Amino acid sequence: MSLELREGELLPDLVKSPTTRQLVQYAGASGDFYEIHYDQEFARATGLPDVILHGLLKAGFLAQLITSAVGSGGVLRSFEVTYRGIDLPGRPCRCRGLVTAVTDGIAELEVWTEDPGGTRTTIGKATVQLPEAEAAAG
Amino acid sequence: MGEPTLMERVKSRIGWRGEEQVNLVEAGHVRRFCEAIGDDDPRWLKEAPPTFVVALGTETPQIPEALEYGKGWLNGGDRFEYLEPIRIGDEIRTRTVLTDVYEKRGGSGGLLFLIFDTEYVNQHDRVAVRVRGTRIRR
Repeated sequence: MSLELREGELLPDLVKSPTTRQLVQYAGASGDFYEIHYDQEFARATGLPDVILHGLLKAGFLAQLITSAVGSGGVLRSFEVTYRGIDLPGRPCRCRGLVTAVTDGIAELEVWTEDPGGTRTTIGKATVQLPEAEAAAG
Repeated sequence: MGEPTLMERVKSRIGWRGEEQVNLVEAGHVRRFCEAIGDDDPRWLKEAPPTFVVALGTETPQIPEALEYGKGWLNGGDRFEYLEPIRIGDEIRTRTVLTDVYEKRGGSGGLLFLIFDTEYVNQHDRVAVRVRGTRIRR
């Protein structure tokens, strides 16, 4: 299943509800064992309010948002994210995206994560090469 | 001529290269990575999802001088450039280079930015993915 990517189209939202357990899972799977992601005392000693999500976990969520919307026909060419704010476990992390341009078979996307207050805590961009047929229609 | 400042000492590390690492892309590792993100797309039974490369041996490189700055690390952002898919069974060589260091001073103190570039080269000697990571000490 793939979405037809047209300029101005919003990708279907992907809402994640990460838990500290998930952060530990991600630490193990990614090899990033920095303690701010699972040790509350350590996180507070560095000035954080609590343990926080790995930036790269949020990047993984946004990559999932993109690949599930694009389907296996589209090819992700580039993907970049800037982490602007922290996200805490136990709160929903809403992943959203918008097609900003479609030119010569290449779709440009803007993606971001939103915290429950609507603040964009991660912002990013991606370029996707569309399947031939869509590019022709496009 | 006094002692070099901390910034001078950190800047002198630009060009630092990490050890080359070689990793097999294992099905179980990719599965655990996808479980941690919560991405159950069957496509990842054969291929690695877009951010998986970070799990191939890339804990934040230890630059001792950087650790003297601030209290902890923050992740500033990541940029991925995709040239070829990474498939289960691929053998991926990686090496990380510290390509830039700069400081930004603000109201709440200073931030030290370290820019790391990593190339992921497959068993056919072709670059599959390039990643530029921005890591911050504060």
